[in-house]
Amino acid sequence: MRRFASDPDFRAGFAEMLPACVGLVPFGLVCGVGAAAAGASALAALGLSAIVFSGAAQILAVELLAAGAPVAVVVLTCFVAGLRFVIYSAAMAPYLRALSPRWQKGLAFLLTDQAFAASVRRFDAGGDAHAGSLHFAGGGFALWSMWQLTNIAGYLMGNVIPASWSLDFAVPLCFIALVAPHLRTVPTIAAALCAGVAVLALGGLPMRLNLIAAGVLGIVAGTFADLARERWTPR
Amino acid sequence: MDASLKLWTVIVVVGALNYASRLSFIAIFARREVPPLLARAFRYVPAAMLTALVLPMVVAAPGAATSPDVPRIVAAIAAFGAAFVTHSTLKTLGVGMMTLWIAQAVAKGIG
Repeated sequence: MRRFASDPDFRAGFAEMLPACVGLVPFGLVCGVGAAAAGASALAALGLSAIVFSGAAQILAVELLAAGAPVAVVVLTCFVAGLRFVIYSAAMAPYLRALSPRWQKGLAFLLTDQAFAASVRRFDAGGDAHAGSLHFAGGGFALWSMWQLTNIAGYLMGNVIPASWSLDFAVPLCFIALVAPHLRTVPTIAAALCAGVAVLALGGLPMRLNLIAAGVLGIVAGTFADLARERWTPR
Repeated sequence: MDASLKLWTVIVVVGALNYASRLSFIAIFARREVPPLLARAFRYVPAAMLTALVLPMVVAAPGAATSPDVPRIVAAIAAFGAAFVTHSTLKTLGVGMMTLWIAQAVAKGIG
C-alpha cells in the first residue's frame, strides 16, 4: 500500500476523484439506509457495499429482497443492471492490454461508472499504460473507500436525515449526470427513449421485471437505429 | 430460506457476476474477437439501462401514493439540462436538489 501512496500517478488519480466522491455521498447514505431498512446485519450491509460495490445493484437487491422476491429474480435483475460493466470493460481493455494479468484483475474490481468516465478521459489524453493504470487505481480506491464510509454512515444513522429533504432523489440525479452527456446521437436517444417508455408502460410487472424488459427493448431499439442509420446514410 | 442466508447468497452471487462483467473484456475475452452485432448492441447498454433505472425513481417518490410526482419530474428535467451542458456530477446534484426543494415548496403553497 505504501508503494501506491507515494506514487504520483496514484495520488493524482485519488485527488481528481474527490469531487465525484462528494457527489456520491448522498447515494452511499441512501444505500446504507436501504440496507438497514431491509433488516441486514451490519456485517451483511458492509459485505454488500464492499463486494457488490455498485449502488444500482445494491438498491435493487435490498428493494427486491424486502419485497420478498426469490433469490433468482434478485440475482438476474442485478446482473442485467450490471451488464453496463461489460461495456466499460470492453472500452478499457485496449488501454490495459500491456499490463500483467494480476494487475488487470485487481483493476477490474474497481471498474465503476464514475471510474470509467474519468479514466477514459485520462487514457485518451495519452501517456503510458502503466501510469494511466495507476491513475485509475487511485481514483478507484478513492471511490471504493468513500463508498464504504458513506454506506456505513447511512446504515448507522438510518433515518436521522429527515425524509422532507428527499435525499433519495440524489440517486437518480447521479445516474442522470452519467447518462445525459451521452444522449447526442440518434441511436443512443432511441435506446434511452424506448427504454424509458417501456419501463413506465410495463410498471405493472411484478418484481421489477419491467427494468430488464425495458433495458433489452432499449438496447434492441438503439441497435436497430444504428443499423438503419448506416444502411440509409448516403455514401 | 432464512433472510440472512438469502441476503448473503445475493451478495456472493451478485458480487461474483458483477466482477465477471467487469473482468469480461479486460481479461476473460481479451484475446477473442467480439461478434460485430454484439459489439454494436453493447454501445446502447448504458443509455438503455441507466434510463430504465432512473425514470421510475423520478416519476414517483419511493413508497409514495401520489404519482406522478410533479416536483421530481421538474427537478429531473432541470438536472438533465445541467448534466447535458456541464458533464459534472456535482453541478447536476446541485441543480437537481435545489430545483426539487423549490418545486416542492411551490407545490405545497399551491396545494
